[in-house]
Amino acid sequence: MKKLIKSLAIGVTAIALSATMSAGASFAADYPDRPIGVAVSYGAGGATDFQARIVTMVAGNEDILGQPIFILNKPGAGGRVGWNWFATEAEADGYTMSAYNIPHFIAQSIKGGVSYSADSFEPIANWGADPAVVVVGKDSQFNTIQEMVEHAKVNPGKVTLSGAGLFVGHHIAALQIEKATGAKFAYIPTKGGGAAAMKAVIAGDVLGGINNLSDAFRAQQAGNVKILGVADIERNKEFLPDVPTLKEAGYDVDNASVNFRGLMVKKGTPQEVIDKLAAKVPEMFAHDRVAKRMKAGGSPMKIMNRAEVQAMWAKRQETLKDLLAGL
Amino acid sequence: MEFLSYFGGVFEPTAFLLLLGGTIGGLILGATPGLSPTMAVALLIPFTFHLSPTQGLILLGAAYTSTVAGGAVSAILLKIPGAPANIATALDGNAMAKNGEGARALHLSFLSSGIGGVIGVLLLIFLTPVLAKWALAFGPSHLFWMAILGVTVIGSLDSKSFVKGLLSGCIGLWLSMIGFDDNLGAQRFIFTDVLAGGINIIPALIGLFAIPQVLDMFSKGRDSSVIEAIEVPKQRFMDSLREISRSGRALSVGTFFGSIIGLIPGVGGQIAGLVAYDQAKKFSPDKDKFGTGHPEGLIAAESANNAMVGPSLVPLLTLSIPGSPTAAVLLGGLIIHGIFPGSDLFDNHPQVAWTFINSMLIGQILMVIFGIYTATWAARIARAPVPIMAAAVMVLALFGAYSVQSSMNGVYIMLAMGVGMFFLEKFGFSAAPLVLGLILGPIAESNFTTGSLIANAQNGPVEYFMTGTLNIFLITLVIASIAYSFWSNMVQGKAVKKAQGATS
Amino acid sequence: MTASRLQHTISSGAILFVAAIVTYISFTQEPADAFLFPRLIAIFFVSLAAWNFMRAVTGVAKVGVGLDMIELKNIVPGLVTMLVFIFFAAKMLGFYLASSIAFMLIFTLYDPAPLNDGKAWMKRLIVTVCFMAVMYCLFALLLKVQTPSGILF
Repeated sequence: MKKLIKSLAIGVTAIALSATMSAGASFAADYPDRPIGVAVSYGAGGATDFQARIVTMVAGNEDILGQPIFILNKPGAGGRVGWNWFATEAEADGYTMSAYNIPHFIAQSIKGGVSYSADSFEPIANWGADPAVVVVGKDSQFNTIQEMVEHAKVNPGKVTLSGAGLFVGHHIAALQIEKATGAKFAYIPTKGGGAAAMKAVIAGDVLGGINNLSDAFRAQQAGNVKILGVADIERNKEFLPDVPTLKEAGYDVDNASVNFRGLMVKKGTPQEVIDKLAAKVPEMFAHDRVAKRMKAGGSPMKIMNRAEVQAMWAKRQETLKDLLAGL
Repeated sequence: MEFLSYFGGVFEPTAFLLLLGGTIGGLILGATPGLSPTMAVALLIPFTFHLSPTQGLILLGAAYTSTVAGGAVSAILLKIPGAPANIATALDGNAMAKNGEGARALHLSFLSSGIGGVIGVLLLIFLTPVLAKWALAFGPSHLFWMAILGVTVIGSLDSKSFVKGLLSGCIGLWLSMIGFDDNLGAQRFIFTDVLAGGINIIPALIGLFAIPQVLDMFSKGRDSSVIEAIEVPKQRFMDSLREISRSGRALSVGTFFGSIIGLIPGVGGQIAGLVAYDQAKKFSPDKDKFGTGHPEGLIAAESANNAMVGPSLVPLLTLSIPGSPTAAVLLGGLIIHGIFPGSDLFDNHPQVAWTFINSMLIGQILMVIFGIYTATWAARIARAPVPIMAAAVMVLALFGAYSVQSSMNGVYIMLAMGVGMFFLEKFGFSAAPLVLGLILGPIAESNFTTGSLIANAQNGPVEYFMTGTLNIFLITLVIASIAYSFWSNMVQGKAVKKAQGATS
Repeated sequence: MTASRLQHTISSGAILFVAAIVTYISFTQEPADAFLFPRLIAIFFVSLAAWNFMRAVTGVAKVGVGLDMIELKNIVPGLVTMLVFIFFAAKMLGFYLASSIAFMLIFTLYDPAPLNDGKAWMKRLIVTVCFMAVMYCLFALLLKVQTPSGILF
């Protein structure tokens, strides 16, 4: 009996060993051999969630990844719950990716209290860029960004601007505008994201607001708001060709507040896996069907490869550190 | 009457099949613990990729209405409210099912859902322009007073002791403060990483209602005498119909409060059922029967939470502002198809808009038919032997709590709150006021913070929170509600003392 | 049956203790702005808890059935199974395997049928398999919820 158990044990160990060895060697070649999850740090139905669902919908095609991608929603605390989970609990095997939102997670990690930083993750590719825009209600006294800034200079702290929360793109944009103009605004973070911030503008609870270009574009189409300026380096030709950038208006505001969305994996993921994903994922984002759906939804796309995203992350880290240092 | 000309679209073969599928699927999803209507609708959005915009919306509209009603099934049969909307349903509905009246409870719940739902959608059809102004009238200060008004009913909600009701509410309010504070970025009461994300309402609901029940079943032990199934009298549909036609008061109270509260962005769906339940109790001559399996409570709660559906879409369809989490998901579903709600929707895509609204109307009726049809069969679930029931509810609670955030944290919170609630219930505390505190805490706080920030930029908090017709109206209601609570508490106290004096 | 005065005193004492801790944390933590609301609530919480405690000590508190030793003894095996199942087994063995075992165990523990009854065992097994099959169809196939897979499935 004892002998039997012993030989069995040896056999099992041998099989297990050979299995792990062969798995190690062929891991990258076979990857992916099962569906891949993408953790989204916001709730189902939010902009990040539905864009993630659209851009990953062709993953199962043989010429892309050959395996479908499913979405895991991990909402809470402005995204902190999902990214904390990804940084501490997810496995670094390439079968769990996460959607990132820049500047949100970098700003949060600079403010502290979370278990991640830009160094905890490896970017794969970027799919979208949603700039922040300045909006006012349709009956507002302000018709240009200059009028608003001048009003704020005369009445410091009296011009209320709603936005989706603290340390998100909207807040960064508000800080940059204050820094560039020297005027003092009252930034009002709303609970309930960009939609609640937009409601505050339309209902007249606040004098103006910072919101996503895509949402503001729709509200403008519906005749509810006026868009005064875009916080980006160049105008958005596709959706808002007539709205000037803040830079054109004479204020030194760059694209640090643009909400970049893309996919990342955890640090420690095998290099072969990262390389394969970095090669295939931009192709997936550029797929015709994806582009068509994104355009229909009014979601601006900006496909960037891994090297470009790495550079962008590093730059944001610098800018945000300076900007948030005084807070 | 424009909507009448678009009824044809609903009855096209594919559209009707989708409507039927959406309704039945929605009922099943709604009845699954842990799947709130919001999640159910989100899960269905990928299916609409392959459909035309109109067809996709029919599916989503039907699913929305029927998941809200489906949540009543698990609330009645298993005492697991599928969503905050169904908490009040569980109070009397489950008591009825335990008395062997599961089929009756389901019949009444579907009928009142249907009636409330149809009225809600009719409000959406006829009064949208008026209602849209209403929805916008509620700014942060008004929402703050609304939440305080909700807090004032805590003491009288499903609790035999005024002090303990209030104390339960306070525990709920405190629990709602746990986690990252989004407005100021501070961490509060985070003793372990599990709590970093705060307490999500759905796992908390599952824990607070389902786990004490499982432990109660355990407490009976291996005693065969308590396990014998209760005989279930057959419930005839005509009897239910007759009963519902006699319940005008509960129905109108439920529908009235449901549709008004549903309209208010950000508060709506979560508390409509509870507030209607509380009001129905106040208006009823049989106050003492509430909570013991009284059909009036069930009817008020269910008519309210379906009446809320139509008005809750008003801000979405007219102004593109989602008034509830589910409306936000629907917005996503619309945008994917390149349709932007707002005036554009009714002007340029009337076909889509009206077919969607009509499908919700027909969906309500299909839901009632299908619900009634399966009620007798479904009611048997409540009669399953106690050990099977206990094991099944436990496993469902695990899966339900996990699936909300795909996270074990939700599961741990669910279990901890459930075990705690079991002991609290033994000493006269109850889950409903605690949950109300949990829901209202963040609404009160975030609107207070936002309001204060705005007020500081204007003429100070006193003017911002205390002036204006709507503020004064709401403050009056708050004072009236507090006065009523004290008054009824004193009357009750005297009555109890008298009764005690008579017996001793 | 209502709970004894001693039980009421102990339970309301425990709640007063929690309320006191909450109040202490609310008033000592910074930033003060973020704790404004918790402080307001803590004041209500602790005063209500104190009132409740006084009612219990003076014997006015009547509501609630209290704890019963026999019932508690009945609960222990089920509660232990539940805790082990949810805190350890679910993640280690995978949701479906752990649930099957826990379901079967609870069913067996609280089933009045004797343990040496072969037919009862058959029934338990069949009910467990059927229930778990429904769960699998609903959550894994229909809703595509990704649950921890543990060592098996």
